Formats: sequence, structure tokens, C-alpha cells
Amino acid sequence: MRRYLLRRLLESVVTLILVTMVVFAGVRALPGDQVRALAGEEADPAALEQLRHEYGLDQPIPVQYARYVAKAFSGDLGTSARTGLPVADTIRHALPVTLQLSAFAVVIAVLIGLTTGVLAAVRRRTAAEWAANTVALLGLSVPNFWFGLMAVLIFAIAFPVLPASGFVSVFDNPVESFRHLLMPAVVLGSGLAAVIMRQCRSAMLEALGADYVRTARAKGLGGAQVVLGHALRNSLIVVTTIVGLQLGVLISGAVVTEQIFVLPGFGKLTIDAVFTRDYPLIQGVVLVTATAYIGLNLLVDLLYSVIDPRVRVGGAVAQ
Amino acid sequence: MSPLLRPAAVLVAFALAASACSSIGSDEPATSTTGDRPVKAGGTLRVALAEEPDRLDPTLARTLVGRTVFSAMCEKLYDINEKLEIVPQLADGLPTISADGKTVTIKIRSGVKFADGTMLDAAAVKTSLDRHRTLTGSARASELSSVAGVDVVDPSTVAIRLKEPFAPLAAVLADRAGMIMSPAALKARGEDFASGPVCVGPFKFSSRVAQDRIELVKDPNYYDADKVKADKIVYEIIADSTTRFNNLRSGDVDVIDRPAATDVDALQADSNLRLLTSDSLGYQGITLNLANRDGVTKPPAPLTAPYAGPVASDARVRHAFELSLDREAINRVVFRGKYQPACGPISPSSPYSSDAAQKCPPHDPAQAKKLLAEAGVTTPLKVSLVVANTPDGRRLGEAIQAQAREGGFDVQLQPTEFSAALDATDAGKYQMFAIGWSGRVDPDGNIASFVTTQGSLNIAGYSNPDVDRMVAQARATNDQAQRRDLYGQIIAKVQEDLPLIYLYRTVNFTGVSAKVGGVKMYPDGIIRVTEAGFTE
Repeated sequence: MRRYLLRRLLESVVTLILVTMVVFAGVRALPGDQVRALAGEEADPAALEQLRHEYGLDQPIPVQYARYVAKAFSGDLGTSARTGLPVADTIRHALPVTLQLSAFAVVIAVLIGLTTGVLAAVRRRTAAEWAANTVALLGLSVPNFWFGLMAVLIFAIAFPVLPASGFVSVFDNPVESFRHLLMPAVVLGSGLAAVIMRQCRSAMLEALGADYVRTARAKGLGGAQVVLGHALRNSLIVVTTIVGLQLGVLISGAVVTEQIFVLPGFGKLTIDAVFTRDYPLIQGVVLVTATAYIGLNLLVDLLYSVIDPRVRVGGAVAQ
Repeated sequence: MSPLLRPAAVLVAFALAASACSSIGSDEPATSTTGDRPVKAGGTLRVALAEEPDRLDPTLARTLVGRTVFSAMCEKLYDINEKLEIVPQLADGLPTISADGKTVTIKIRSGVKFADGTMLDAAAVKTSLDRHRTLTGSARASELSSVAGVDVVDPSTVAIRLKEPFAPLAAVLADRAGMIMSPAALKARGEDFASGPVCVGPFKFSSRVAQDRIELVKDPNYYDADKVKADKIVYEIIADSTTRFNNLRSGDVDVIDRPAATDVDALQADSNLRLLTSDSLGYQGITLNLANRDGVTKPPAPLTAPYAGPVASDARVRHAFELSLDREAINRVVFRGKYQPACGPISPSSPYSSDAAQKCPPHDPAQAKKLLAEAGVTTPLKVSLVVANTPDGRRLGEAIQAQAREGGFDVQLQPTEFSAALDATDAGKYQMFAIGWSGRVDPDGNIASFVTTQGSLNIAGYSNPDVDRMVAQARATNDQAQRRDLYGQIIAKVQEDLPLIYLYRTVNFTGVSAKVGGVKMYPDGIIRVTEAGFTE
């Protein structure tokens, strides 16, 4: 077990180094550097050179990388080239926004997806199934940016019941947080809701035709009890897997949603950082994302090995 | 972004819908202020900016959008008024200039406190000006390069020693170079001043969350605090113009920076909103590479392939190109008539404008062909034009391409990512570049760097000793009439040699909720909120 753990840790570190190296070189391959983007129209060549020197951009990329890694190891992600604010603080402000938005979106997606999925399966070949399918199709095919703009036009401008933008943390004011996040969460969750609905429907159809459901009915259980207590419960395994797989898609969808609803989250931060060629911020964002992703994968792998000893044996054999 | 601009200017150009007041397409005349409606005390004014400002340090700041935030918290020695005249702000009266023009004496307003409660005095002014001049990475150093030293004459007077007479100094001190920072805060924070800037202003810095908001609160120490109505100003960053406009309509923000040209009509038609407009100080046009072979600021040298050609070597060919362009049509087709055609670098609203400065060649494709024949070139003459790779940039390029075809040119468009375009054109790797300039109050700022030999923004590689001499003369005299005349002559010379073809001028736009009063916008495009608040 210890060998397996060590090997996985080593692999994770190597992956992390590779990811940061690729991003480090990648952002520098973009035309125009952070100094050029920052200088704007006031681009006195002498001043540009002075700034490049100050930021160390006149050094070879490997040297810049080594300096960055050395600082990052001590927890210093540098300061944003644009705002001069610490990158770590900037990320710390942005991360909770995206996490709260995503969590709310998942809740909404699960609620809508399960309800319509069950309805479509139980009321097969009726208007209800048709309606549920239509909603799912719309959820899958309508792009977030359009859906978002329409939502703002209707619920913030034509009938001003919700704010068009902004973020309030659920820990500061739950009611205002709900009002601010409702539209973005529905928009963000719509695609996932559609996926859940379709998966739930097909899993439910299979379950409703299964022997144990027939047995349950034969025992005289009520319709709701059979559907919710037996068929849905078994279908949830599929749904849970799907939600897990779709989380990455959801968080990347947050990039667009955050732009439309002006939510100061991780996605908006990333996009803005790329547009302004803010190297320290881009690197910080990637480092945090890659670390989180690799960390989670490592955790899952370790859990597998705990649950299924064959994984760890296989790993040992492979060595 | 526009064809012609340096980065920030580009943003300004395109995001701003420009137009003369009369061309906006509404019966209600557009104005540059929200009028004199009484404004009540209190409330939080939310202002949506189109971009993230950079460091909130007057010495290091480079973005145009940052100037809007500074205007509410960092006053300057001088300011401009709606007529583009220089007026004192932290200075007590206009500067006095010695007979040889090399010493500028400035009296400082008395009884003024910084936001941290310390007093503004001549020593504080010297500290800030010295920092602007000498701090590593200072964006002000080149603006103050004419300054040899700053002396404290007495606690309320400073004398600025100049290397040579420099008439635009007051205009320079009416921008960030004239912002005075609290010496106590500078000592405490050093280079990290941007994380807690302390100046003199109607509002003082409260907090900033990157990519999200900057919050300022009313400063009780402000010398004119009675005029300040709002308790708090929140600048929110909303990059997307549609989202910005929607937030104004929904009431989530009260003021928006740079509504898109496409939203201007809707904004004017909405009775809950108001549109502020002002002429821009800048210009947009085409820069032609005449002799920038080795890079900007390097000595001019004959171009080599593939950039060499009759455009660089023969002024008649450049004139033919200009004659083939129809500025009115470009404005109408590309910008829905919302910009103003322009033929020179000085805004018509500037006190330095003259008939000579606004002289415009006609649209005459027949004459263009004639000139090309005289020059002995085979038509259609192939030329390449770098344009910003944006919808507006490409549309402008296509309009130029279509018009130039009538004059005998085959324009090859090179849509290029903006930063990459700037890199390439700085290095001299281009024939023509659609670029512009956001503009400065003093005409020197719109002219000198672009057309003097080895000027820092002279990407054309243009060099004309007469122009160099006249630019130096215009800098050396404080006689406005004489300067106006000299700039007229400089522009005539530039139009003769044609390193730049000026095409159009943008108009600054700001959207304001009808509930808000006291907002002002002058041709510098800065949204001024000192006296802004909610109407009674």
C-alpha cells in the first residue's frame, strides 16, 4: 500500500509540473505579452523594456519558470500584472463564487431533471412525456449565453423581480444570495437538468419493467411507493454517476454564465486574465485548478484501492 | 477595436459609439452633463466600467479606464473644464512662468487635507512629482521628461525647473502626472501604494476586489465636502457591452461607461435613461510605414521587401490612397453615422483648432488614378493593411478596401490580434496599419510623439526637420495664438508628406439612469461623479 501511495503521489507531482510548464510556455507563446497589454496606447518602447525587466520577462523562459516555482513552493503566487493585487487573494475571492453557483446549479438540475425524468417515464406516451422531452431538448440545445440574456431581459428588465447581476454570499445573506443566484443557477443547470432527465427516464423505464417492481406491485404496494421507493431509488445510481461526470462540464459552463450575470467567479477571472495577458494570474488559476483536479483524482484512486484491493495489487504487479 | 488605435484607445473607439450630437437620431439633444436637477444627499452610486482598471497608483497607472476612478479620489494640480481649458484644482491659480520659460511656479491651495488627515503642502507636491519622475516603471516619467527638478519655495509654493521651455506642462499636470499622493501613505506603503491609495478627493478608497469592484466612500476631509452628495461610489467591472446596458436598464447600476454604438439609439429612446456625449480628443486613421525598417525610435531607413514599395517612397501614391477614401461613407457604413469624419489630429472643440488644422482633402478617385499614373505605378497597386481582428476592425478594413479599389489599389487586409499587431508594427513589419489615439488635452500629446523624428510612437518612421522644428517651437511658447498657428502649419506639412491619414473621430458616450444627477463628462471621456447623486 505504501509503495502504491508513493507511486501515485509521484505521478501527481510530475503531472502538476508538466501542466504548469505547458501553461507557462503557452501563455508566453500568445502574441503580445503582459507588458504590451498593460501599456495600452502609452507604449513608449523604453518604458516597455524597463517594465519587462522589472517583471523578469527579459529572462529566458526556463529561468522565469524556475523563479516562479521557487516562489510558488513558499505559497507566493505573485501579484497580478494588471491590478497589482496578490494573486492568492484574488483567487480566494473568486473561488467561493463559482463553488456556490455550481452547487446551486446542481441542486436545481437534480430537482428539475429527476422530476421531469420520473414524470416522463411514468406518464409514457402522454402529453407530460412530450412536454418533459421538449424541455430536455431545449435545455440541451439552447446556448447558455442566449438563455442568460433572455432571462435577464424578462426577469430583470421587463418584469423586474430579480437582479440582473451581482453576487451575495449565502453565508452573508441567504435570501439575497438566493435572489442573485437563482437566474444564473437555472441557466447554468439547464444543460445538466436535461442530461439527468434523459438518463433518469431511461433508467426508470428499465426499472419499471423489472421483476422486482412487478413483485412490489403484486404485493399490493401503492403507485407512488413503487415508483419512488423502488424504481427511482435504483435509477439514482445511474443519475449520481452522471452528475459526477458532468461536474467538469458544469464548471466550464460557469465561465459564460459568470460573464452574463457579472459574477466575480473563477471562470470570469480566468477569461479576463487571458484577455489582459496577466501571466501571474493565469498561472495562479491554472496551478490551483490543476492541483484541485489532480488531488481529487488521487483521492478517488486511493479510495478505489481501499474499496477494491485488486487495484492496488494490480498496481504493485505492474511495477 | 478600431483600426487605428493603440490599445486603450482602441477600446475607447469601438466601445464608444461616436457621433455628433445631431447624428444620434433622437429629438432629445445629447449633452455632456445630467443637468442642474437638484441632487439629494446620501446613497450609493453604482458605475459600470468597461474594463478592469490597472494599479490604483497614479505613478504606475496606464489604463484610460483607471482615470475615471482616479477622478473621484485623486485630484490633480490642474483639471480641464468643458471647454478644454486648464483650470486649477489643487493648485491655487494657474502657473506663473519665468521669462526664459524654464521655471514654472505653482501656488498650492491652502487648508487642503489628504484622505488620511495629513495636510497638503509644497513638500507633498514635490514628493509626488519626484516619485512620478523617478520610480522604476513609472508611466509618468516620459510625460515629465522635460522637468529638471522640483523645489519647495515655501510651504505653499513649488517651483518646477525645466530643461527647456515646455508649454504643455500644465496640461500634463491636469492628468495623472499632476496627482498628489499623501507622503505619509507613500512612506507606509511604498511601492504597494495601489492597495490603499490615499490622495485628496471627494471620495476615498475603501476596498477593491479584482475583476469585480472598487469601492470609494465620501471623504469628510475633502475641502469641498459640501458639494459631494453620494455616500459611496461602487465601480463594477462589466466588460460585455450588452450586459452593461442591460444592468443599466434593470437598475442594477446607475451609470455605464461606453455603451455600444448599437445600444445608443435604444438608450436614448428609453425615458428612464439618459445619454451623455462629448467629443473625443483623439482620432482614428491609417499609419503608413515610410521608413520604419529597424523598429520604432530607431533612425529612419529605406524599407526592404516585402514592406518597401511606392507607398513608402512616393508621396503622390499616398495622396492617391487618401483621395480614394470617402470619410463620410466610412462613418455612415461602418459606424452607422455615429462618428465624425476627421482629417487632422486636433479635435474641433480644442482651443488650438483652426481652419488649417481641420482642412480636409476631397474624395476624388479619378484624381487618385491620375496621381498613380503620374507616379508611374502599375494598377491595381497591391498594398497590405493591418487591421484589428475584431468585427469593427474588419468592417473598417473592408470599407477601405472597397473604396481604395476605385482609386486603383488592391488592398490586402491583414486582420491581426491587437497586441500582435502592435508588436509587428512597432517592429516596422507592415505597410499600412489602421490605428488611432485616444487623445490628450494639449495638441502636443496628439502630435509630437507621432511625427517627430524617432518619436516614441512614430511607427511610420517619419522624419521631416521642418516638422521637428515647429513641434519644438510650439512646445517652447506659451502664446496660444502662436501655438495654434504652428499646429496648423505642422498639420499642413504632415498632410503633404502623409505618414498618417486621419479618418474619423469618436464621440464619448455614457449612459445614466434618469434618477441620477450631477454626472459630468468632458471630452477626455472621464465620468466625473464629484457632485453626482440621486435626484430629489
